[in-house]
Amino acid sequence: MTSATLRMIAGCAGCLVAVAWLPVSLRQPTGTVFAADDGRRIVAEAQQRATSKSMRYQGRLTAFDTGGRVTEKRWTYERFGSHGRSRAVLRFTSPAEVDGVALLIVNHPDRASDQWMWTPAIQRERRIALQDRSTRFFGTDFSFEDLEERDAEQEDHTLVGEEAIDGAVCWKIQSTPRRSRTSQYSKSIIWIRKDIYAPVRLDAYVKDDVVRRRINANLQQVQGIWTAREVTMTDLRRGSRTRLSLDEVAYDVPLRDEDFTVQALRRR
Amino acid sequence: MRAVVFAAVLLLCSPAVSAQTVSRRGSIESHVVGFPQTTPTDTTQVVGDVLLREEGSVRPARWIQLAAGLGLRGDSHDRVEDHWRLDFEDRGVRRARASILRVSASLSAGAFSVEVGKQFIRWGRADVLNPTDRFAPHDYLDVVNPELLAVNGVRPSVQIGNSTLEAVWVPRLTPSRSPLFDQRWTVALPEAEGIRIIDKGAVFPRGSQHGVRWNHAGTRVEASLSYFDGYHHLPAFVVRQPSPEVAEATRAYPALRSYGSDIAVPAGWLTVKGEVAYFTSPNDSTDEYVLYVVQLERQVGGWMLIGGYAGEAVARSRGTLSFSPDRGIARSIVGRAVHAVDPARTMLVELVVRQNGDGAYVKGEYSTLIARSWRLTMSAVGIGGEAHDFLGQYRRNSSGSIALRFSY
Repeated sequence: MTSATLRMIAGCAGCLVAVAWLPVSLRQPTGTVFAADDGRRIVAEAQQRATSKSMRYQGRLTAFDTGGRVTEKRWTYERFGSHGRSRAVLRFTSPAEVDGVALLIVNHPDRASDQWMWTPAIQRERRIALQDRSTRFFGTDFSFEDLEERDAEQEDHTLVGEEAIDGAVCWKIQSTPRRSRTSQYSKSIIWIRKDIYAPVRLDAYVKDDVVRRRINANLQQVQGIWTAREVTMTDLRRGSRTRLSLDEVAYDVPLRDEDFTVQALRRR
Repeated sequence: MRAVVFAAVLLLCSPAVSAQTVSRRGSIESHVVGFPQTTPTDTTQVVGDVLLREEGSVRPARWIQLAAGLGLRGDSHDRVEDHWRLDFEDRGVRRARASILRVSASLSAGAFSVEVGKQFIRWGRADVLNPTDRFAPHDYLDVVNPELLAVNGVRPSVQIGNSTLEAVWVPRLTPSRSPLFDQRWTVALPEAEGIRIIDKGAVFPRGSQHGVRWNHAGTRVEASLSYFDGYHHLPAFVVRQPSPEVAEATRAYPALRSYGSDIAVPAGWLTVKGEVAYFTSPNDSTDEYVLYVVQLERQVGGWMLIGGYAGEAVARSRGTLSFSPDRGIARSIVGRAVHAVDPARTMLVELVVRQNGDGAYVKGEYSTLIARSWRLTMSAVGIGGEAHDFLGQYRRNSSGSIALRFSY
């Protein structure tokens, strides 16, 4: 599972709540009643179910640009910790000309992550400034911000309805960044499968327009965690998309905290 | 050090170990530069070179990593030695045909790590000029397209919270490679016109170099302080004139001590970066001066925009004749724009304009990936200005170039 997926999961799924006893509720056009707190509970539950001490996978990125050109890259991903307290290193392994380029993401429970990119060709690391997080990550359709793994508490979540995605009934939840954190997105809508509490789609908005859409597909259980083995991010403004396939996914692998520092970025 | 070399050779030769612990990559790059104009010292207008690079690393355990790189070179303009040897120190006036680009062992335990061997060390945070980058000699045979060289040393570091304390000890100087006297990037002084310059090589200092850097990566600011005591990797020239028609020039590397600092502050919609160093010489063999750079940086869509000013203040001048591209581009307005057109194509524009208008340099570059492994890069460089200016002296060296690289 990618950190992008994790961010989505971190912003997702939860427990089914008996709406009758909740004090505040919203009435949907269909007549279904949702409690105002349901969104947060669902997301918190999804986050809980996706929690692991660490994670590793081999990613295969295929980018399809608007001119029909297809490029492929591969990376390895390692995460230590979980959600808002995790650190992750993503390191390209192919093609040869980007081999070794790495990104360190230090997530925080109460604010946006810190990120540094290591470029071996110039032997330098560069901090990705907060204002630059909306830019595309290394020619993919993921922005730097999309690679964060946020804690569910960093956004307000509202259950806005139910909808079927590929035949699976999903909760539809609107997530809005809290004032304390900075995001390029004004809100996002997340679809979480009711049967397994796994997110399958996310629409990210800038004002009232959907600018990015993430589809999680090929969901499989890995060590008890529902994991999307294929994630497709579409940049709706550019018309391009990037598909990330996750191979050799493993959770709770033995990793060391000291391998997730700016210093360690220099080491392959 | 021999053990490190041996391990590295094994690493480059062995396909063994698992895919998770071993990585290797290589490339073959050919580069052709065309100069519309000749110069008094060099009438060659087309120069070609080729570099085969093989790099690899192995991580037998989480706490240790070995890395190595080997380069094989050839060129059409006598910038590569005419005999075979495996060069480890990069001290030659010309590039070696075969050289160890890097070979090091990196060990880590908890917050402590150490790298031993031939390694790349970069200090500083700015992009256009790095006054604090004291362990980073370059190959300046092509002044506008320098290549970073590794140094042989030991580099222990410890991480304390968000801060890193790093020390460097380099037993022997690795110098920057300065332009050859009989080629276009060496411009004779007006008073030396008609005098034949004989290259007498270099005299290297015997002492070691050391430095310490404290770096803090805070939430709102990144900053560092650094200290260096050693030798300048850029040469000063000792000139002797045995006859009116002949001058003998020897490269020397003056003792140098520097105190530096750099800072990066992400402000509202851009990042402000600054870097400064004060240079002095323990034996009065070089100028005392301050080099600094202030730059603004912003990423907009696929564009990375950098603009700033590089400055210099000389406290004491000792009239040394030297090759100093770092001081040479000081007192200038500098800018760089890089545009990622799509995952395969990039464009770059670089600009340096002397504040008094006496010199200017502009570079445009377009690079595209062809198929999966080939990269074609085309660039054009324009240089103009007055003969007395560091940039302006190269006004006959405007050029166009094509580079083709195959990565595997």
